[in-house]
Amino acid sequence: MNVAAIKELLYKVADDQLVIGHRNSEWTGLGPILEEDIAFSSMAQDKLGHAQGCYQILHDLGEAEPDQIAFSRKANQFHNCHFVELPNGEYDFSLMRHFLFDHADQIRFEMFANSSFEPLAKLAKKVKGEIKYHVFHGNTWINKLSTANEVSHIRMQTALNESWNYALGIFEAGSFETELKNEGIFEGENALQNRWLEVVCPLLEKAGLKVPEQHTWEPVLGGRRGYHLAHLEALVTEMSEVFQIDPTATW
Amino acid sequence: MYGNAYIDPNEVNKTHSVLADEDPKLLAEFEARIERGEKIEPKDWMPKEYRKQLIRMIEQHGHSEIIGALPEGTWITRAPGFKRKLALMAKVQDEVGHAQLLYSAAETLGKSREAMINDLITGKSKYSNVFNYPAFTWADACIIAWLIDAGAIINQVANAKGSYGPYCRALDRICTEESFHLKYGHDNVVTLATGTPVQRKMVQEALNRWWPPIMHFFGPSDKISSHTEILMKWKVKMATNDDMRQQFLNMYVPKIWDLGLTVPDANLKKNAETGKWEYTEPDWDEFKRVINGGGPCNAERLAVRRNAEERGRWVREALKAGQTAYVVPFA
Amino acid sequence: MIESLDPRIKRAAISTDNNIEPLSPLDQWETYEVFHQKKRGDQHMHVGIVHAANPEMALVFAKEQFGRRGLSANIWVVNTRHVFASTYEDADIFETTSEKIYREAGGYKVMDKINQYKKSQKA
Repeated sequence: MNVAAIKELLYKVADDQLVIGHRNSEWTGLGPILEEDIAFSSMAQDKLGHAQGCYQILHDLGEAEPDQIAFSRKANQFHNCHFVELPNGEYDFSLMRHFLFDHADQIRFEMFANSSFEPLAKLAKKVKGEIKYHVFHGNTWINKLSTANEVSHIRMQTALNESWNYALGIFEAGSFETELKNEGIFEGENALQNRWLEVVCPLLEKAGLKVPEQHTWEPVLGGRRGYHLAHLEALVTEMSEVFQIDPTATW
Repeated sequence: MYGNAYIDPNEVNKTHSVLADEDPKLLAEFEARIERGEKIEPKDWMPKEYRKQLIRMIEQHGHSEIIGALPEGTWITRAPGFKRKLALMAKVQDEVGHAQLLYSAAETLGKSREAMINDLITGKSKYSNVFNYPAFTWADACIIAWLIDAGAIINQVANAKGSYGPYCRALDRICTEESFHLKYGHDNVVTLATGTPVQRKMVQEALNRWWPPIMHFFGPSDKISSHTEILMKWKVKMATNDDMRQQFLNMYVPKIWDLGLTVPDANLKKNAETGKWEYTEPDWDEFKRVINGGGPCNAERLAVRRNAEERGRWVREALKAGQTAYVVPFA
Repeated sequence: MIESLDPRIKRAAISTDNNIEPLSPLDQWETYEVFHQKKRGDQHMHVGIVHAANPEMALVFAKEQFGRRGLSANIWVVNTRHVFASTYEDADIFETTSEKIYREAGGYKVMDKINQYKKSQKA
């Protein structure tokens, strides 16, 4: 078993979950309507739970405790994609990111459920239902808002245009794609992206949205290798502010 | 999270006038039903004053939940560690959920949620005063979660035995969730109080800051008036402000002292003879000043709510098509 | 701008004189009555309402507002407008006279007759 490959995989997945969960939690108490505020907060909690689950596996492989990993690293030690670190903007962008990210998440965890690496397969089976709800939630909102009125249609199309290349950055290849595939741990980012496109493009078209033309596609890369926007540094500093008062204390 | 509803002092002596044009037979049946311990349901006949006071009270309670999400929300992006981060998110989420349940209960009395939100964001209706104070440090959020929620539970457990069915049902659910908040808050405070010297100092300072608002939480001593009496007879108001404050002190001061923390009131002690707690009279002028908008965070809280409503407006507006007419929910 | 202690609020750069138009009727959408089933085999129970723009969203919302703790097997949502209810004013229609024991199990006491019959056979 290629431990280095598994660790790289787990770090990027966990960091994605942590950062998007953190971002989405920023809406708690400030959402567009009470009922949606509650639903969005639940999903943010789920994401943090999934992050915690991945960090726990890393810990079992010899890495630090989940709290230390999440709350003590510098921004350039994070391996999340740029998409999740972008500020929330308005609800259109937050929803579009949630929709695009969660479809990738669902397929990724479906792949993990068949992983030869047992702890990952176990985690994937555990979180299946939660992600299914996230996708159901995302599909419903994207479909309804994109087809509602002119304002909302334009907003959702704009959000899609702004998100697209960042979303493609989710699938930035790691250093161990071949090894992971050969050992049956994970089918790989390329396969994941292809399946994601097969799922999201028809859904977006059904919602009356136009997927950006293929010649404009330019995946935003670098996050997986620790290169980030200034947003992540601000996020990490804020998130760990209290924890860093005394990282050895029990909080 | 909620303290007691504040009765407008201008209204205390108008009982006779408010009952003057009620049908005596219907009024007698209504009061007999409450006397028998039965609940009043939305479409029942009820005195206009009963409806008015209940709407005011449930609505204020709902506002307190949604505004109450803000002081603790101050720390939502900074909670230390997974356990605290997840729990704080869940707690603030619950407060939003409580607002949803309470507004729904008030709606059954004929006031729409839109009207309630409009009255909140224009400052026309009130909410619990404590939420007009800032949460300076993480420890403030912990003190709120423990002691403000503890106070709220005392109030809510009492009100859950009130006479209006939908409010009681909402409160039953709310009380179950509040018991998680209380445990969560206590666990946080205990962790800080038994932690490093820095943590201990943080939590003591937060307690010092929050003590005056906590003493204000249940409101000033009730004026004995015919109006309060009738609200208690109708089981709209279930306990006097002083009784609830005493109950709170009785339950929580020993727990605070257990942790070696001090309460910033040299006069605070239990009178062994009367069994009642004695304390320095809270500054009720400050209380009134804050209720009337002069607290450190009143302006911020309402501006944040207006901002949230405005940012969400396009979302709600877009999906309004196909909506026909509002129907008052049943229960 | 509000100098909030909450970094989220600070970033939003909100002014305190941000007066807004009042919410218009139906801004918060219609309501749906929510029926929740804890586990297979149980009755669905009415647990409250959600405000939602359409049935699908009502379901999405109800799942979290009424099913985020404890067990859930199934949820129904029904637009409030489609509920037809009896009135409490007419609650006396449910009062039934005690003569209706013919439709209660307790209204049938066969043992007396059986015992009497057995006794008469012995005699």
